[in-house]
This record gives sequence, C-alpha cells and structure tokens, in this order.
Amino acid sequence: MTTKNGSHQRLLILGAILVAVIAAFAGWSVMSKPAAQAQGAKRTKVVFWNEMTGPAQQQLNTFVKDFNQSQSKYEVVSEFEGNYNEAVQKIINTHGTDASPAVFQSMDISTSQIHHTGYTTPVQKFIDEDHYDVNQIAAGARAFYANKGTQLSMPFNTSQPVLYYNATLLKKYKITPPPVNPSYSDITRVAKQLTDRSHKKVQGMTVEIYGWLFEQFMANAGVSLANQEDGHAGTPTAVNFTNAATVKTMKWIQDNLKAGDFVNYGAGANAQNNETASFLSGRLGMFMQSSASIGQLTTGNQDQLGITYYPHPDGQKSNGVAIGGASLWISNDKPSDVQRGAWEFIKYLMTAKSQAQWQVATGYLALNKDSQKEAVLQNLYKKLPATKVPGEQLRAATPNATNSGIFLQGLIQERNLTQTAMEQIYNGSDIQKSLATAQKSMNAYIQGNNRANGY
Amino acid sequence: MQQEITPASKPSLKPKTLNQANAKGFNLHVNDKWYALAFLGPSVLILGVFVFYPMLRTLYLSLFLTNNVGRPTVFIGLKNYVNLLTSSAYQASLQATAVYVIGVVAFTLILGLLLAQMAVRKLAGIQWFRTIFSATMGVSVSVAAIFWLFIFSPSIGLFDQIGTLLHLPLVQWLTTPGPAMIAVIISTVWMNLGFTFLILFGALQMVPQPLYEAAAIEGASPSYQFFHVTLPMISPTLFFTSTVTLIGAFKSFGLIDLMTAGGPNNATNLMVYQVYRDAFLNGNYGLASAESVILAVIIALFTLLQFKFLEKRVTY
Repeated sequence: MTTKNGSHQRLLILGAILVAVIAAFAGWSVMSKPAAQAQGAKRTKVVFWNEMTGPAQQQLNTFVKDFNQSQSKYEVVSEFEGNYNEAVQKIINTHGTDASPAVFQSMDISTSQIHHTGYTTPVQKFIDEDHYDVNQIAAGARAFYANKGTQLSMPFNTSQPVLYYNATLLKKYKITPPPVNPSYSDITRVAKQLTDRSHKKVQGMTVEIYGWLFEQFMANAGVSLANQEDGHAGTPTAVNFTNAATVKTMKWIQDNLKAGDFVNYGAGANAQNNETASFLSGRLGMFMQSSASIGQLTTGNQDQLGITYYPHPDGQKSNGVAIGGASLWISNDKPSDVQRGAWEFIKYLMTAKSQAQWQVATGYLALNKDSQKEAVLQNLYKKLPATKVPGEQLRAATPNATNSGIFLQGLIQERNLTQTAMEQIYNGSDIQKSLATAQKSMNAYIQGNNRANGY
Repeated sequence: MQQEITPASKPSLKPKTLNQANAKGFNLHVNDKWYALAFLGPSVLILGVFVFYPMLRTLYLSLFLTNNVGRPTVFIGLKNYVNLLTSSAYQASLQATAVYVIGVVAFTLILGLLLAQMAVRKLAGIQWFRTIFSATMGVSVSVAAIFWLFIFSPSIGLFDQIGTLLHLPLVQWLTTPGPAMIAVIISTVWMNLGFTFLILFGALQMVPQPLYEAAAIEGASPSYQFFHVTLPMISPTLFFTSTVTLIGAFKSFGLIDLMTAGGPNNATNLMVYQVYRDAFLNGNYGLASAESVILAVIIALFTLLQFKFLEKRVTY
C-alpha cells in the first residue's frame, strides 16, 4: 500500500509540473502576442529567406534594417536558411503554408526548377506595373533569370568567375603577367614559368574540380551545354559534354597536370579553402574562383592581387561567361499587399546606392549601372584597381543563349556528374570516355525528369 | 504498477484464471480490449505517425517518378530499383559502404577492446586514462570533422608534416580516393571509440575475479585467460556493441558530409549519402526512396544474420 501511495504522489507531482509548464507556455503566448501586434499593427510583415553568411549576411541585415526604417508600410523579417541546396527543397516543401517566405533568395542553377514549380510571381509583373526601368540593371545578369522575355526573378548577389594571380610573385620571378582576356596558352605560359623559375616552390595554377567552372569553360567557348539553346528556346532533352571545345579544355588541364605545371586541389569547400590558403601564403600562383572571393583575397594579403577575365580557348574570341550567385523571387502564395511589399524591398536592394555598398562589402558586383558613380565604389577602385575587372568582364560580354546560364532542371545533378568526370580526367582517365559516362547519366536523368513533370 | 499494466497489454499471454481473479474487482476481463487500446493507443499513434506512415510512404514513393515539387506522378513499378542496381555508380556506392562498414566495425571493436583491457588494470593514475579514453563520447560530429580536417589537410596538416619530417611521400589524404576512405574510417573509428570503450570497460569489470584466480591456479597463460575467460564472459556486450556499431556505420552521415561530401570521385559516397544527395540536393524523391528501402533491407538483413550466427556464440 505504501508503494502505491508513493507512486500516486509521484504522479500527482508530475501532473502538477505538467500543468505548470502548459500554463507557463499558454501565459507566455498570450502575453507576447499583444506586444508583437502593437509593433507591427500597421505594418505588413514580409518574410525574407536568404542563404548569405559572413560579411554578406551582415550587409544584408543592414539593408533590411534600413529598409524597415525608410518606410512604415512593410516590415521585412530576414531569416537565414542554411546553404543554397537545402534552401531550394525548403522553399518547395513549405509553399502554401504559414511557414513559407514572401520573398526568397535562390541560387542561379535552381532558376528553371523554381520557375517550373509555379510557386512564384514573376517580377516582370511588378516591373510592368511600376514601369520600372530594368535597363539600369546589368543585362548579363538579367538574362540569366529571364525566360522568353519575362523577367522571372531579380538578380541579386551576382558574381563572375575570374582568374586570380599573385602579381607580386610574378614580378619576383620576372614573369610578364597574363593579358586581361587570356587564352589557355597565356595561362600555360605563366604557370610553366612560375613552376620552373621558382624550382617548384610555387605551384603554377589550379582549376578546382567544380561543375560551375566546367559550365563556364563551355560558355566562354560559345558551346551549348544542353540542347534547345541551353534551354532558352524550349525544354532541353539532352546534354552535350563530349563536344570538341570541352574535350580540348579538359585536355589542356590534363596535360598541364601531367607536366606538373597545374596542381589538383580536389573538389568542394575543402578544395576552395585549401587553394585560397595556398594562394594567400604565396605557394600557389594562379587559380580560378568567383569574384565574390575578392574581399577574402585582399584583406590581410601583403602581395598584390591580379585579376583577369576567364581564360578562353586559343584561336577564338571569348564568348563571355555566365554569372553566378542567386536571385530574388516573390512567392505567389501570399496576399497581394505582401507581394507588393516584397517587390518594394527588392527595389530598395537594387538602388544604385545599395548595390554600390553591396559590392564594397561583399565582392558581389553592383548591378545598377549608376552604382559606378557612387563614392564608396569609386574609393574601392582607387584603392584596389583590380576589383574593377569582374564588372568589366560582365559588361564586355553581349548576352546570348550560351552565356546566360542553362535553363535546365537538375543542374545540381549535372554538376555532380561533371565533377566526377573532372575527377577522373584529373587522375589521368580517358577524357572522351569520362565525359561520355557523365553525359549518358545526365541524359537518363533528364528523360526521367521530363517524364515525371509531363514535358 | 507493473502488474496492472502487463495483463492489459499482453492479455493473451496471461492465464485466464488470473484475469478472472482480477475481474471481480474492476472487471478487467470484460474491458481488457479497451484497456489495451488505452495503454497502447499513444504509442501506436506516435509510431504510426512517425514510423509506420513514413515507412509505407517511402515504399510507395519508390515505385514512382517524382516531379519537381516532390509529388509522385508516373508509376514505374520496380524500375527505380532496377536502374539503381544495374548502375555502376550505385554499385560503387554499395562497395564503398561495405568497405567502410567492415573497416569501422572491425577497428572500433578491436581498438575499443584493447583500450578497455588496458584501462581495467589497477595502476596509479588509471582514472585519468579512463576519462581520456571515453572522451570522444563528448565530441560532436562537427567538431570531430574540423579536428580531422586539420590533421588531413594537404599543406598544413599534421599527418603531412610528420610525413615530411620522415621524408615520406606526400599523401593527398582527402583528394585521392583510397586515402580518403582510410581517412573517414579513421575519423569514424575515433568517434566511436569512446562509447565502445566505455561499454566494454564496464563489461570487463563485471567479469568475476574468482574465474581468473581459478584459471591462474590451473596455470592458464594470460592470453589463454583472455580467450577462454574474458571473451566468453563479455560476449553479450561484444555482440551488442558490434550490432550497434554496424547499424551506426551504415547510417554514417555527418563526418562524410563535412569531410569529403562523398568525394573524391565518389569514393566515399556511402549509401546514406547518396540518399541525401538524391532527395535533398537533386529533389529526386522517388529514386531516394528506392535507395532508402534498399539500405533498410540491407541493414535488417545484416542484423538478422548477426543474431542468427553470432548470438549462438554468445554466452549469457
């Protein structure tokens, strides 16, 4: 009997605790609601999902704060959603629920996928309503996020792939720097001279195993990766990895790796960190990366940084590369006033002043043409003239189907497959065979995907 | 408390007479179905929502192509499975998983047992060693990954610095397929060691001392004592740890994601990682579901085999 009483007592205590906890939660929610409502009573809440980290996140949060202070109609709430890849699935899976965002940032290669979900309102609608002058935004960036004349989303954080070189090291070994718009053989020359004259103390060059760079080689050679003009003319049904230009590019890298003038840093975030570390410590002469790395490569770097355009195959003119980065989309599952708020916020981010600040803070390019006149950007160019190069590269290229991104679903898969092919090629495998394997898998993927979506 | 629950939850196992005796009090006999429902209800509900429904849904999705918002659209029967099992990439993934699992389980058990055997000796300051040996239990996956990334890093890594001192050839640990697999196995074993050590250490301490004394009087050598006294006595624990480590190894994700992300050249692309890639990066839920089903079947099969063959050798 005593044990029974004991357990009853314990149950009672447990129950009391439970009730207390529930009461506390209920009380808290009742108490906190009016407080929150009092602040945002007149303002329409606009939830903004982004995937920015580091300095970019800080600058973005400043923009959000400034936007909220600049007007009293909308309140933008910025929420960080992890990395680009995972954010895409989160955006799709929360659509139509209270948890979904009103405006979100999504990466370059998700463009076709996000558009085809039918979950968004093209920003073109607001551009037309407001007679917004889109010509102030860089054409190369706009073309990436447009389909058949409709602007689907607004380009935001935009970068260009560029080639970085250590100008101080080149001077030390009396090597003529590569030209602003170099060919493959220009780069080979510098890499070879660096390796030889430093007696292998300095590694000449590395090309990261990265699908993005693979795509850019094709864009710059003027070759379509997917049929239907890289998807800009219709739904692609196949890819073409085994074309002559790509084989030539891969052979260029493979030969140089064999000769020891190029080195292999592998794939992924680790490769990026390692090549950056080597470059900053003067053990690597050249590498290719997003222009968004400029900030990281200039702070605390005693050596002078050199930047050139993305290299192009010998014997032809460069076609220009596609941008990288992400754009801003407006969800269509929110009422029109929320969507309007999202658009107002996007407009705020795209002003000449915001864009200039954005480039200075992050290394992403200022997309508003008038930003170039802003004092903050002028000061940056004066201090670091090389930072002008990526913007010039962007403006130098005329947008066409092959350098405006690939409008294809499953580009994450494509990058995965091309990276595997690159890894095999870098390790000495047969180029044609490695590319053909990747091509076969990608075509099977596209076929299945088109069937599942009823294209 | 215990006695009130058991007849309700397992009514068929209890002799009728007992129920009838209770029935006089509050008629459990008549209402036992309702009691069963009341007691089992919450757990059935929770399991149903979080275990059984997802399982069936996965099975269902694995028979379809899924569109870009993850909805099943085209029924293709077992084609996902056929495509997977005939694809060389997936076969490579299966093979990598086998190497990884065998490596992890074998080294975790051997090293864990070695450490436990060392720590069980009563020496001065042994407490300190016991704490150190079990310390990896308190290390989170992310911390461990960063720690090992530093060690394996190509230019500033500890391993390569030692190698340079000894004039050994430079190993690109995480960018060459073979070494990358070794690197992730080492890291995983290190992660597992704390837990395995602690469990085996506990088991070793439970072995009755008189057994050793008797063996010593018989003139048994230390190694004979280990194989004929220690091992049989701790076999249930060894069996438990091997099963847990095996299942854990099949499900390894964090370290792989942070250290190699399945690379280089898909050398460490384990089955779980492929599921993650297909579901959460490629948005290909149908294929990912088929991969999950295959993984679940393999784990179940191995666990079953372990129970069937290893358990016979276990002395309780």
